[in-house]
Amino acid sequence: MVNVEDLRKEAKRILKEGKVKYVIGYERGEKGLMAKPAFIKDPDDVDRLIWDPTCVHNLTKFLVDEKRRKAAEKKPDERPVGIVVKGCDSRAIVVLLQEKFIGREDIHILGVSCEKNGVIDEKKLAKKLKGKTAEKIELDETGNFIVTTEGGTTKIDPEDILAERCLECQANYPVIYDLLLGDKSKKKIDKPYKSLEKMESLTEKEKWEFWTEQLSKCIRCYACRSACPMCYCDECVVDTIHFANRRHHSRRKSRQDKMGGEIPRSI
Amino acid sequence: MAEQFEPRIVAFLCKWCSSAGSDLAGVSRMQYPPNVLPITVMCSGSVSPLYIFDAFNKGADGVLVSGCHPGDCHYIKGNYYARRRIALVKKLLEFMGMEPERFQMSWVSAAEGTKYTQIINDFVEVLKPLGPQNKLRRNL
Repeated sequence: MVNVEDLRKEAKRILKEGKVKYVIGYERGEKGLMAKPAFIKDPDDVDRLIWDPTCVHNLTKFLVDEKRRKAAEKKPDERPVGIVVKGCDSRAIVVLLQEKFIGREDIHILGVSCEKNGVIDEKKLAKKLKGKTAEKIELDETGNFIVTTEGGTTKIDPEDILAERCLECQANYPVIYDLLLGDKSKKKIDKPYKSLEKMESLTEKEKWEFWTEQLSKCIRCYACRSACPMCYCDECVVDTIHFANRRHHSRRKSRQDKMGGEIPRSI
Repeated sequence: MAEQFEPRIVAFLCKWCSSAGSDLAGVSRMQYPPNVLPITVMCSGSVSPLYIFDAFNKGADGVLVSGCHPGDCHYIKGNYYARRRIALVKKLLEFMGMEPERFQMSWVSAAEGTKYTQIINDFVEVLKPLGPQNKLRRNL
């Protein structure tokens, strides 16, 4: 079991000693159960830090923002940033290191192990609770989730509410860390690439239909770009007109707009 | 009588080999289908995957990228980059459910006018039964 107190103690120590600028971690969200990112500068605030299966988000993206911020400052604080990472998030850090976007000396990694578990899927949980709001979620000794709602407690099998990716996870603990909390235990999986095999067995038509359905949700909010730690280009490809041609992007139309709706014959 | 489907091919030809190869086919009066729209680029290595998707966006039924033979690149290794990148694009097309035959790569040297006509002939034959490409097409 990961002891949250250990995480808080370590965070407090590195903040007090001035080893890090601040610590990026998780804290309880204001609405509902899910965790939200926390930025802790003051050693007295470390009690806000939490670590449980509601810590869904990948905090690595904030390292990209941090680099931007640092580049804009005249006298940047050269100390590293403390960051809490799960097994999957640590892979994102590894890629950022490989691509030399960040240096190892820029980060102090507080690794947390998921220990045969993972993070929960909010949608699956909502479905399971049938309209009730969860107030608390805990793990019991047998590995089941105990969810507390206003109407009492429910025992839920982890298989039912864990995120899809966690069911097939092979990276339960961080591959890179300065301090690891929890042990390096792996869940036994019969078929590690079941969903991938399923995807690959589809025919061309089924694949196209699958992606059409997935992308039908897209409202072009570009939140994907804001969430993905690998999206750090200064100039983004989806902002160019070459990527997707929409009617108002065509040359003729824009010229028409400039000319007050009419295209002069002479041009 | 219904008109027979004529595919539209966008061909990215490198300036030093394939473009000259197509030129040779032209000046030697070789017969080949008029379905191809050649675009000369400086090197097949300079063809970004975005160019390819853009061509599909704009309604190409097939895209051909053609460069110098491996080892003959004017820029020493441009076509090796192209080969790697293009393999990925092909896999991506397959993954998202496009017919991978709609995208091809070939090596044509400046002296191979006949090979160029052959490639275009074959490509048109492959594309005809597939019908028009409507998956990535945008209505402009």
